[in-house]
Amino acid sequence: MSTDAVPALELSRVDMHYGYVRALDQIDFHVMNGEVVALLGDNGAGKSTLLKVMSGAHRPTAGTITVHGREVEFHSPTDSTHAGIQMVYQDLALVDAQDIATNLTLGREILRKPPLGWLGFVDKKAQRKRSQAELDQLGVRTAAMTRPAEMLSGGQRQVVALARSATRVSGERNGVLLLDEPTAALGYEQTKQVEALIVRMARQGIACVLVTHNLPLAMEVSTRIVVLNRGRKYADVPTAKTDTDQLVGWITGARPSMFAA
Amino acid sequence: MIVPANPQGAVSLAPDDTAGAAPDEHTKDSFGIRALIFTRDRGLIVLWVVLILVFSIWASPFFAKWSNAVLIANAAALTATFAAGVGVGVMSGSLDISIPGTAALSGVVCGWLLTHHNPVAVALVVALVIGPVVGVINGLVTLRGFNPIIVTIGTLSVTTGLAAVVAGGYTIPGLTQLTFMGTRHYAGIPAPVWIVAVLFIVLTLFLTQTRDGIRLMSVGGNTEAVRRSGINSSRYRVIGFVISGFCAALGGLISTAVITSASPTADPGIIFTALTAVALAGVALSGGRGSLPRVLVGALILATISNALTIKGIQPYWGTVVTGLLLLASLGLEKGIEASVERRLMSAAQASVHSGKK
Repeated sequence: MSTDAVPALELSRVDMHYGYVRALDQIDFHVMNGEVVALLGDNGAGKSTLLKVMSGAHRPTAGTITVHGREVEFHSPTDSTHAGIQMVYQDLALVDAQDIATNLTLGREILRKPPLGWLGFVDKKAQRKRSQAELDQLGVRTAAMTRPAEMLSGGQRQVVALARSATRVSGERNGVLLLDEPTAALGYEQTKQVEALIVRMARQGIACVLVTHNLPLAMEVSTRIVVLNRGRKYADVPTAKTDTDQLVGWITGARPSMFAA
Repeated sequence: MIVPANPQGAVSLAPDDTAGAAPDEHTKDSFGIRALIFTRDRGLIVLWVVLILVFSIWASPFFAKWSNAVLIANAAALTATFAAGVGVGVMSGSLDISIPGTAALSGVVCGWLLTHHNPVAVALVVALVIGPVVGVINGLVTLRGFNPIIVTIGTLSVTTGLAAVVAGGYTIPGLTQLTFMGTRHYAGIPAPVWIVAVLFIVLTLFLTQTRDGIRLMSVGGNTEAVRRSGINSSRYRVIGFVISGFCAALGGLISTAVITSASPTADPGIIFTALTAVALAGVALSGGRGSLPRVLVGALILATISNALTIKGIQPYWGTVVTGLLLLASLGLEKGIEASVERRLMSAAQASVHSGKK
């Protein structure tokens, strides 16, 4: 668990221009390990753009990105993945026909002992065991490890997708999870399950950035809230020190920016 | 990498996770769900067994005999080889239409090499390599963003044309050097059946037990998910084509060996028969799912039906009709089972959400 005071991910003075449109204007943003930062804003406020910059899908026009205090440059999502940043997508995250264990181990399979290992045979039992251990570690109970992903409910799918990303960013140095509307299309119970999981992941030292339109969700799970408004940062406050009214004010622009000169 | 243990977190998490959960329920599905999944996955075998029982009575006493079983297996072998190619292609996300062309080209090249006094081993290896080569070309072109069906229609044309060029437009006869893999029997079983048995065992193990095979299936199911796992998904799409090309070349060699001559004409019927077996096996054309043993059973069902009708002296055209009806009926059955599996799982999933929350 990294408890150092260096942010897991920090963006400073990031600009993003699409032609003449300023999608992001001098954005400073950071997230510490163990923190859940909710990124709020109306449509077109720049949330998705900021997320794309963090995940390496877009390169900012100006500004710097540092990961654990080291300056980095992302040319592609693969670069950010190597730096320990994982994006959790709303859909397309799981292979339907494969079981949970296979989905969790894809890309980091456990091979059997030689000679079968030389032929690329995987040790399915060990994979199931490790997957179970990883889900247990996150306090997640979904279904049997041998259950195909297509036979999971929406909530279970999302939980497995989250866990999959979480296991990829945790290690000796915990990474960053980028979550885009993780509870969209989920029912009440399932939303609660996913919320609990996000809180647990953060408690284990993973830094979480949560992009959402859902104010109650943000209030429930985040430790800090950042509000964007037309490409600018309007607010950056601990969740405990704000309320829905204030946030709505910043989101709509009715309330002046905290950083207004 | 496993998350480093966090005793404090684990303790604080324990109450809401493990409350009231039997440790076994944690890792195993209930019997009902497993039974339904079994029916869904193995229904075709049940159908085949039923067919065999019905035919044993209807076409007795000639049907239910060991010698007839060997006949059926032998008749199914060629279809099964091509069906393996089509099946692996479809599972990896691309329907390979070029199979008949590749088969013709490989047979003809083998025939040409043999008639020009080359050793049998050389002829076989060269002819077999043609399959993967065509596969790599199919794969690399498809990766440029073209539809695999169109691309392989193109290579079908090219390979068919090349086969005719190599053979000078005529069938190459008298290839008796290949009878060891054609009409010869080993331990009472014809050579093509042995070849198909080995092919299916190897490919099934590959697809279900090895890292590359599982990734190949996953790419067919959801390329994005695999790519996002940091895996080079393109490679696996090419591997899919390489395997289907190999099966095509192998099938071309088997048919050349059986009829001891190499015909430069590609028979597009191969694709449709193979596709019927693949569809009977419930391999989704959208890719990512399906099992090769079931494809084998699909090919065996086709051979079983035509065999029984032949014994009863019924015109073989009826075999085609019955096969078609069977395919349509199996679709209906599959849908019914799928729906009931879903219902069962839906209630199970809801139960587990609630028990998870306590």
